[in-house]
Amino acid sequence: MTTASDVLSAVQSAFPGAVLESRVESDRRLWATIDSNSIVDVCKHLSEKLNFDHYSGAAGVDWIARKEMEVVEIMASHGAHQVVAMLKSKTPRENPSVKSLANLFWNANWYEREIWEMFGINFEGHPGLYPLLLGDELVGVWPWRKDFKGYPDLTTGQRAVERPTSEGYTEYFIPPTPAEIEAGTVPKEKPKYPSFREREEKEIKSDSEMIMHMGPQHAMLPGPFLLDILIEGERVHKAFLDMGYIHKGIEKIMENRTWLQGLTYTDRMCYVASLSNNECYCGAIEKILGLEVPLRAQYIRVILEELSRIQSHLIGTGEFMTLIAGVGYAPWNFMIIDRESIISLIESVTGARLTHTFVRFGGVRNDLPEGFSDKCRSALKYIESRTKEYIELFEQDPIYHMRMENVGVLSPDRAKRVGISGPPLRATGVAYDMRKEDPILVYPDLDFKVVTGTRGDSADRIDVRLREILESIHIIEQCLDRIPAGPIKTETKVPKKIPAGEAYYRVEDPRGEMGMYVISDGGDKPYRVKVRGPVYATLQTLPPLLEGVYIADAVAIAGSMDGCPSEADR
Amino acid sequence: MLKRKMLKNWGWPLRIASRGTEVTRLYPEVMMELPAAERGIHELDATTCIGCASCARICPNSCIEMVTYKYGSPLKNKKMQYPQIDYGRCMFCGLCVDECPAECLKMGKKVTMAGWEREDIVRGPDKLAVKKFTAKEAAELAAEAKRIAAEKAAAAAAKKKAAAKEGAPAEGAAKKVAKEGAENKPPKKAVAKEGENKEANAQEPKKEDAKPTEGGAS
Repeated sequence: MTTASDVLSAVQSAFPGAVLESRVESDRRLWATIDSNSIVDVCKHLSEKLNFDHYSGAAGVDWIARKEMEVVEIMASHGAHQVVAMLKSKTPRENPSVKSLANLFWNANWYEREIWEMFGINFEGHPGLYPLLLGDELVGVWPWRKDFKGYPDLTTGQRAVERPTSEGYTEYFIPPTPAEIEAGTVPKEKPKYPSFREREEKEIKSDSEMIMHMGPQHAMLPGPFLLDILIEGERVHKAFLDMGYIHKGIEKIMENRTWLQGLTYTDRMCYVASLSNNECYCGAIEKILGLEVPLRAQYIRVILEELSRIQSHLIGTGEFMTLIAGVGYAPWNFMIIDRESIISLIESVTGARLTHTFVRFGGVRNDLPEGFSDKCRSALKYIESRTKEYIELFEQDPIYHMRMENVGVLSPDRAKRVGISGPPLRATGVAYDMRKEDPILVYPDLDFKVVTGTRGDSADRIDVRLREILESIHIIEQCLDRIPAGPIKTETKVPKKIPAGEAYYRVEDPRGEMGMYVISDGGDKPYRVKVRGPVYATLQTLPPLLEGVYIADAVAIAGSMDGCPSEADR
Repeated sequence: MLKRKMLKNWGWPLRIASRGTEVTRLYPEVMMELPAAERGIHELDATTCIGCASCARICPNSCIEMVTYKYGSPLKNKKMQYPQIDYGRCMFCGLCVDECPAECLKMGKKVTMAGWEREDIVRGPDKLAVKKFTAKEAAELAAEAKRIAAEKAAAAAAKKKAAAKEGAPAEGAAKKVAKEGAENKPPKKAVAKEGENKEANAQEPKKEDAKPTEGGAS
């Protein structure tokens, strides 16, 4: 098996002098600072020769004291080996600019756009650096830089100035005050770029084409994001996606909260997956601290994360059934009832229904209550019988088949290239699961298999989710059998100030690969938290997937991805 | 064949509906059973709260404010500062409960908090307290605290006098001397600290920590 040190020596021999600094954290983590001129070549070499075919994301870091900025590329492999390479390239803080990887990896596009709008790092050779998450009025202030002073107060209605637009509408404009201009809360010079509307209208080629808006508020969408489709008759020619309607800036907020307070924000990135978000954040910090989690706490975490996965898949599938209206409205109602029993179980341990704030650095908050095991087993038995019923129901329903089969087909190669993860990737037959690839907690000791599909269409994505519920039930039953007695928190006292260091920690979210890149500078607050969420990649995949389908299928495809914009707009 | 399958599936909801699963909760009439771990509205034990403001500091939404409250124990909580929680901002994360060193703040099973005005959901220690002293008990405790404080003050004054006579600074002050490098400062400093403590806003716990041992009387 390839290890991190193998990768490092391979890169060093292929590019002598390109690796400026390197650190092999473990067999599965490689940290390296690459000369910014050769970052593209190194990444190309990694992907072509060393099986790094999964571009997992990128993070920007503003090192204000060192007067430089850093772009960290996260590279992994789809099953060939388990090494995650964190490749940093540095650039001076004045006019920061690095080379773009967007021509090498298709999915680098959005990650680089995000870094550009948040940090102002230019990406040379990027096909279109347009804002993605920020509103137009904030582009140019680079809000995630460390010297950003805060947003201007745009809530004061009295400051609004009425002005007519060229199209004859009236719009309201709030001019910045001199103090705000001086403080740097409004952009001094705005970058020039065509707006989203202009970009999509440019694509209209003939009179028979038109643009239809699905969203930001649409029955299909689990949260607000704008999906505009360019249609001719019933056919979708092109799709455009814009998000950022509920961008919360959680990564920036967490820089201003203490380590423990930051935990509460991970809950709120996506409330149906809050336990795995908790786990991801705490795991990264435990890695920095080198904390050993007691065995009982590890089992409790696994049990709850799997329960959380079950409820997430139930609500995801149920919601989808209401969208396609193929099998009727009933499954939604029944899945919600089923989910209630799981939610009650989680609530009996954590004390909250959705936002649990349960995992702690080096342990968990509460122990399992009396009689949890029996209650859990009976609830799981019920869920198991119900899930089997759902699978049977969907298998034999002809309407469902007509609606879902061979709709939105992703081939394994294409799915790998677009960087999607979770059930949509596994439905194509690629067995890529963080629980096996980057095993954490007690997952290596547990017996379970990665559920995969064969066709990669919408029906398979739902089928994979439902069969994953059965697999999760199997995992929880093993945990309940094996869970030992003992402490639920580590005996070492967790310091208020986390020692300087960095870690990247991945968990399998219900929706796919969730990773957190946490940097500490030795203070009581994180220096930077980067969340690599699964939904960001899923949403990025939607526009190319929708090209050439019928309008009605757009719903069947977008819904089957189980995308949660709240998490992508974290 | 196709029709039969479809008919079978249409019968499916009926089949499940007749199983007697609980579907609707009769909420206001029948309250659902909540687990012991439930994180509902806080419950304060005013008899043991030490007013350290740990809860106020950890709160990510800063919804906890320390306010004065009569029916606590002045022996434990000298400035009688107790948490007041603004439920308009509280997100029930439970960090305050975890941080509480005296384990006097808990989260209970009550979850309803509707009110007519915004002030109704700002709950002071009076509403949060599940255990508190009666007015009589509180008065007794206050008298007791006064007596102890007076005793302490007298002892401290005696000690200081003795120290001044001997010409050697007291044990606690000796450290201060080492820090500041001035010889005549320690008694003055202690007096100044006392004066400060009286005026100091009790919401700031740091001052309480930094207080010299002999100057606690107020």
